[in-house]
Amino acid sequence: MMAKFGNWMEDRFGWRDVWEAIFIRKIPHVNWLYTLGSATLFVAVNQAITGILLTLYYVPTPDHAYDSVVYITTQLPMGWFIRGMHHWGASAMVILTVAHLLRVFFYGAYKYPREVTWMTGVILFIVVIGFGFTGYLLPWDQRAYWATTVGTRIIGVAPVVGEWMLRVARGGSELSAVTLARFYGTHIWVLPATLILLVGIHLYLVIRNGISAVPGKDE
Amino acid sequence: MGETKKEVKKLNRSDFMKATIAGIGGLIGVAYGLPAIAYVVGPAARQEEGDWIQLGSVNKVEMNTPTLFKTVIETQTGWIKTESEISAFVLTTNGQDYIVMSNVCTHLGCRVRWIEEQDGFFCPCHNATFSRDGQVTGGPPPRPLDRLESKVEGGILYVKRGA
Repeated sequence: MMAKFGNWMEDRFGWRDVWEAIFIRKIPHVNWLYTLGSATLFVAVNQAITGILLTLYYVPTPDHAYDSVVYITTQLPMGWFIRGMHHWGASAMVILTVAHLLRVFFYGAYKYPREVTWMTGVILFIVVIGFGFTGYLLPWDQRAYWATTVGTRIIGVAPVVGEWMLRVARGGSELSAVTLARFYGTHIWVLPATLILLVGIHLYLVIRNGISAVPGKDE
Repeated sequence: MGETKKEVKKLNRSDFMKATIAGIGGLIGVAYGLPAIAYVVGPAARQEEGDWIQLGSVNKVEMNTPTLFKTVIETQTGWIKTESEISAFVLTTNGQDYIVMSNVCTHLGCRVRWIEEQDGFFCPCHNATFSRDGQVTGGPPPRPLDRLESKVEGGILYVKRGA
């Protein structure tokens, strides 16, 4: 029955080739450090699932943001779990991304023909940092407010255009409802769209070029 | 074909990996799926417990005349607290038993008022009338005025919330 259905689908989708290209590809003999990229992807999926769930209750306005976060954490069944997974996942995301980047760097895996994989990876790292920075403000508690006050102030240090870029980041001279709304919009729309696009390219290239072997002594 | 063919199926490395991945994947799916369902349906599953709301002193109820009581209650929906006024008519015929009736017309939800001269409740929206104890005496309402569960404790009249 399942096999029949599988064949029926295969005739129309040809998914077996795709499946084999992704999961049955040949890889060199590698070590556990090569799982860091997959681990990062796993946590990214975790962030997407828990993040989508959080948007069901979270409201990005100064008069409701904090209360809705407290409601999620203390009133909803498993709300503490969903938020906790998103909160700790965020830290795990940054740590794993950096670890993955360092593995690729020290193994020289960014060299020909994998330069573009590396470049998309570096942009992905910046996107992850962006997720962390914008997400940090959303609970709208004291820590979030002052961390973002300080964080955006750093933009202002840039020469010539700094002051103007600071105003753009905050949507005005001070942190306000405008800041919260644009950080939220960036966090749930702009960055995820960028992330999906870049992860798509990144993974395609990993499969297309194969992964590099552990470099030997003389290489 | 007809003979019993005993096949010693050895679990090879590939099949072991497949089974392990499916097993762990299933566990992860459950670990996300069940909390997600609880989280999404949570607010709908919550039972509003009917706590007692203080209406006021029974001394204010006039014998045989529906008396309007008003009180402010705090309700919480999600993370938002709102104050709303509830009002109800209280009727007693013997000073012992109290009938508490909602002042919301059972037709389309306008507020009814007691008109002593006409010996009845009147709803201005569609000229509905109700008798002293809330029975429909004229107009379109489909049922008598709703009654609220009530009790008297220490001379104070209480009604049950969410009725």
